[in-house]
Amino acid sequence: MADDALIRRLGGELFNRAVRRVPDDTVHALRQAMERERTETARKTLAMQLRSAELAAERNAFVCSDNGIPVYFVRLGSESPIRADFKAALKAGYEALVENVQPPFLPHVTNPLTRERSHTGKGVPIVTFDQEGGVDWVEIVCSPKALGSGRWAALELFTFPSIAEIEAYVLDVAIRAGGQHCPPVAVGVGIGGTFDYAAKMAKEATLRPLGTPHTDPEVAAMEDRLTRAINALGYGPMGTGGDTTTLGVHVEWCAGHGFTPVAVAFNCWINRRSRVRIHPGGDVEWIE
Amino acid sequence: MSREIDLQLPLGRADLAGLQLGDRVFLTGEIVSSAGLPTYERLVRELSEGIAPPVALQGGCIFHLGSALEARDGGWHLHYINPTTSTRFDALMPALIEGFDLLLTGGKGGLSPESARALARTGGVYLSFPGGGAPILTDAVEAVVEVAWPEMVSHYRIVRLRVKRLGPLTVGIDARGNSLFAQIDTVAKGRRDEILAALAQSRG
Repeated sequence: MADDALIRRLGGELFNRAVRRVPDDTVHALRQAMERERTETARKTLAMQLRSAELAAERNAFVCSDNGIPVYFVRLGSESPIRADFKAALKAGYEALVENVQPPFLPHVTNPLTRERSHTGKGVPIVTFDQEGGVDWVEIVCSPKALGSGRWAALELFTFPSIAEIEAYVLDVAIRAGGQHCPPVAVGVGIGGTFDYAAKMAKEATLRPLGTPHTDPEVAAMEDRLTRAINALGYGPMGTGGDTTTLGVHVEWCAGHGFTPVAVAFNCWINRRSRVRIHPGGDVEWIE
Repeated sequence: MSREIDLQLPLGRADLAGLQLGDRVFLTGEIVSSAGLPTYERLVRELSEGIAPPVALQGGCIFHLGSALEARDGGWHLHYINPTTSTRFDALMPALIEGFDLLLTGGKGGLSPESARALARTGGVYLSFPGGGAPILTDAVEAVVEVAWPEMVSHYRIVRLRVKRLGPLTVGIDARGNSLFAQIDTVAKGRRDEILAALAQSRG
């Protein structure tokens, strides 16, 4: 279709950008954490993390050796004239990047049935869609995801839970992850909806820039107290102790039935994410 | 107050006995590493069958680090290294630690109490690497000395690297089996009720 070439190019660029830089909001949050930390080990670890982010930016190098699997979130504006076979184009863009990128990516895409590893596989990249009414742009977010933080996500189904039960569950998932997920992490929580949609909300909540509380003051207050609760656990940067286990908890919710799924997802400290908007005529705006 | 300590490899037990949890260590010398679960499974299997490992491990070290290697000009070029999650190897580490009398291991996130007990028996230490520290860690690598099991994908291979001041690495499990991770986890779990009470108070 008309815009396939553009989407293919952006598919490669989005992934390549996400693995070579720590987003600005995350660098800022790490610096703020440095000022709050009371222990020397934690401050030194945060300083190392900031230095790694700085070196990766200076050299356009990978921050981590595990660049994860490619995940794209496409948000189609109802008034956007952009027309593309998005899934095929993003896949082609990612695969072209794998072919040409220097230094090469390690093969981390895994066949779950055979444990064989490659750079691509069935259903990869993972591309999901949503629509935004009344706007004329298309937004694509790329969030490469790996085992380090990915394996600690969790979901539980409750029936008519109290807020206290929901918050206790989030805390218990944080305790189970401990310091394993390369903290300080971004935490996303999805409450309500259905089994699949709660997980999607939790994941999307991790993509919201840090320092951007929920627009509903009551939800923002929940985010703030859950952030303080998780940090009070003391796991700290890289799990070797400290005041900063999370850089922020983001909550999204949706009405559902009496069964209430609660999903919790984590992004490690490098909080990989890139975001682009495509305006009418194919004008490209890099948001992050 | 934690300390910064430079260690020259190969090490003896005496070099490790004085290390305290939270000390920051820089390593200079030769290290062995692999990030492959099939690699560790094969090492344990061959150890039980009496087959010698492809890279000398006795009394040495193995770290949970993956290497991006490329065959070039008859040798190996290293693009980057980075740690992987150590607990993935928990079921295999006690056999490896005791089987090879390992004095050093490490990766990110710590190891289980069983692995810590195995380290206490060998007088070995676990070092916590910074995850997402590829640029810093890779800068410390001077040379690729040896690559075993090259038929495996890059990060699964067993690699011997010569490093200079690799670090800072945090002492996560000391030579007596004390684990910083276990201590922190116990404290966190002990705080759970108090934190839930604070949450309730904050909700009003």
